[in-house]
Amino acid sequence: METIKNALDFSDFPRLDLTVAGAVALCLIIFPLFPLSSFAMSTMIQFLMFALYGMGWNTIGGYGGQVDLGKAQYVGIGAYTTAVMLIRWDIPFWVSMPIGVCFAVTWSFIIGYPLFRLKGHYFAIATIATSLVLKDIFEVWEFVGAARGLEISPIKYHPPDFLRLIFREDIYYFYFILGFFFLGILYINWFRKSRLGYQLRSIKDNEDMARSLGINVHWAKIKTYAIATGFVSVVGSFHACYIKNIEPEDTMSLDISILIALMAMLGGAGSLWGPIIGAGILIPLKSYLKEWLGAQAGLVGIDLILYALIIMLISAYEPRGVWGIIEKIRRRKRA
Amino acid sequence: MTLLEVQHLTKNFGGLTANDDISFHMEKGELVGLIGPNGAGKTTLFNCISGLHAVTSGRIVFDGEDITPLKAHEVARRGLARTFQVYVAAGDLTVEENVMVGCFMKTASRSRARAHADQILRELNIRDLSDYMVSELPVAAQKRVTMATAIGSDPKLLLLDEVAAGLNPNEVEAIMASIRHVHDEMGITVMLIEHVMELVMKVTHRVIVLDYGRKIAEGDPESISTNPQVIKAYLGERYVKEQRSSAG
Ligand SMILES: Nc1ncnc2c1ncn2[C@@H]1O[C@H](COP(=O)(O)OP(=O)(O)OP(=O)(O)O)[C@@H](O)[C@H]1O
Ligand SMILES: [Mg+2]
Repeated sequence: METIKNALDFSDFPRLDLTVAGAVALCLIIFPLFPLSSFAMSTMIQFLMFALYGMGWNTIGGYGGQVDLGKAQYVGIGAYTTAVMLIRWDIPFWVSMPIGVCFAVTWSFIIGYPLFRLKGHYFAIATIATSLVLKDIFEVWEFVGAARGLEISPIKYHPPDFLRLIFREDIYYFYFILGFFFLGILYINWFRKSRLGYQLRSIKDNEDMARSLGINVHWAKIKTYAIATGFVSVVGSFHACYIKNIEPEDTMSLDISILIALMAMLGGAGSLWGPIIGAGILIPLKSYLKEWLGAQAGLVGIDLILYALIIMLISAYEPRGVWGIIEKIRRRKRA
Repeated sequence: MTLLEVQHLTKNFGGLTANDDISFHMEKGELVGLIGPNGAGKTTLFNCISGLHAVTSGRIVFDGEDITPLKAHEVARRGLARTFQVYVAAGDLTVEENVMVGCFMKTASRSRARAHADQILRELNIRDLSDYMVSELPVAAQKRVTMATAIGSDPKLLLLDEVAAGLNPNEVEAIMASIRHVHDEMGITVMLIEHVMELVMKVTHRVIVLDYGRKIAEGDPESISTNPQVIKAYLGERYVKEQRSSAG
C-alpha cells in the first residue's frame, strides 16, 4: 500500500515543478497531433528512450554516486535478447523483454559483485571495460549475427503487431515508449523514497557512516545496479523493435554509455527530473547537430567536443547539473 | 548485566600498535568516558568495537555474543551505534533525511522512519534544523545531527567520538544535556571519547584512560582527575590550570 502511495505521491515537490511537469506531460501526450516531420518524431522517441536510460543510470550513478560508464552493455543484452528471440523463434516482445531483463540482471550480478569492491574512478573504468568486452564477444558471436548484427524485417509480420511491437508508423512506438516513460517516473519516484533509496544516498554521503548504520554497502550497491540494469534492458528491448537493425557497434558502443551518464549528470544526478532535463537538452542538440553536420564532413566528432565541454562545465561549476542550479537559486530565494 | 566486554584487544597498523592489550567491560545503563592524549588509540578502539577495523587479536563480546568477526553493518544491526570524530558529508541529505537513514535500520516504512526521526530531532532540540543540508551546517550542529542519526537506529550502546570538540561553552552545555537525555530518558548505554574534561567529569560514571595504546587507568571521575599517572600522561598542567581558574 505504502509502495503505491509513495509512487504516486509527488507532494514534496513545489507546486511550480508539478505544474511544469504536468504541462510537459500534456505536451508529450498530444505531441503527435501536430503536423510533424519524421525527424522530429524520431528525435522525440530518442529523447524518451534516453530519458529512461538516464533514469536507470540515476539510481546507481546519481542517488548512489557510483559513476557507471558501462550502461551500453545492458542496452545490448536487452536488444539482442528481443531480436534473437523474435527472429529465431518468433517469441514476442512481451515475453522476450522480461527474459532480457533476467539476463541483464544476472550479468549485472556477475560483474557487479567484483566491481563494487572497487572505488571511484576504478569502478568507472571497470564498467567501461566489461562493456567493451561484452561488445567484443557479440562482434564475433555468429549466433547473434556477429559484427553484421541482426535485422528484424517488418515484411514478415503484419503491422501493427502489438505482441511483437512491430509497427510501420512511429506514432505507435512513441506511445509505447511514452507509457514506459511515465511508468519509469513512477518507479523512480517510489525508489527515491524507499529504504534502499535513502541508504544509497547515505552511502554516497559517507560509506563508513552508512556501514555503522547497519547498511550492507556492497549489497546495496549490487541491488541498485541490478535495478538500473533492468531499466536499461527494457529500453534496449524496445530499441530492437523500433530500430529493427542492431549491431554491436551502435547498441553497445562506449558513446552510448557516456551519453547516458553525461545526460543524467548534466540534468542533475540524484534528482528525479535530472535525467529527463538532461535528455531534453542533449538529445535534440545531438540530433540537430548530426542533421546539420551530415553534409559537412570533417566536422564529425563535434559531439565529442560538446561532451567534453559539458563534463568540464559540470565539474567546475555545479556537480549537480541543471537541477542543482535550480535548487541553489531556490534556496537562496528562501534564505 | 554486562553489555560490552572487551578482552585483550590489540590492533596493529603495520609496526604501530594503536591498541595494546586493552580489556574492560561496560554494564547496561552505564555512561563511560574514554580519555587520553592525541594518538592514544581512542578512535581506533571505537573502530575495532564497531567492526570497521578487524582486530589483530582479542575478543569483543556484545550483549552476550562474540562480535569480533562481524562486519560493521552486522555489528550495527545488533544494536551498537556510533558517531565519527571526523565526518565529511559529501552528499545532499537534509538533516531529517540523515536521521531517517538511521531509523531505516529498524523499519522499511518511510512514514514510520520519518515519524521516528522527527521525534528524535525534537528530543535533541534540533527540530529546527530539519530542512538544512547536513553539509551546510556548522561542525557543532553536524555533530548533534550524527548523534541523532545514530540514535535513530535504536541502539543499546552508543559510542560518541568527540561530539563536544570545538564547541563554545553554550554549545557544550547543550550537547551535555543531549547526552544526559539520551542516557537517562532514552535508556541508552553510552561510551564517549572527549577532550573537554568538564563534560567528562560532569556526565560520566566511570572513566577509562588510554595512553600509547594501553589502558593506564580506570575509575570514577574524581579518582581519575587526581590520579598522578593520568595527570602526567594527559591532564597535565592544562587541566590543573583550568581547575584553578574555574575555582578562582
Ligand atoms: N587507519 C589507520 N592506519 C594507520 N594508522 C592509524 C590508522 N588509524 C589510526 N592510526 C594511528 O593509530 C594511532 C591512534 O590513533 P587514534 O585515531 O586512535 O587516536 P585518538 O586517541 O583517537 O587521537 P585523537 O585524540 O587525536 O583523536 C595514531 O598514531 C594514528 O596515527
Ligand atoms: Mg580520535
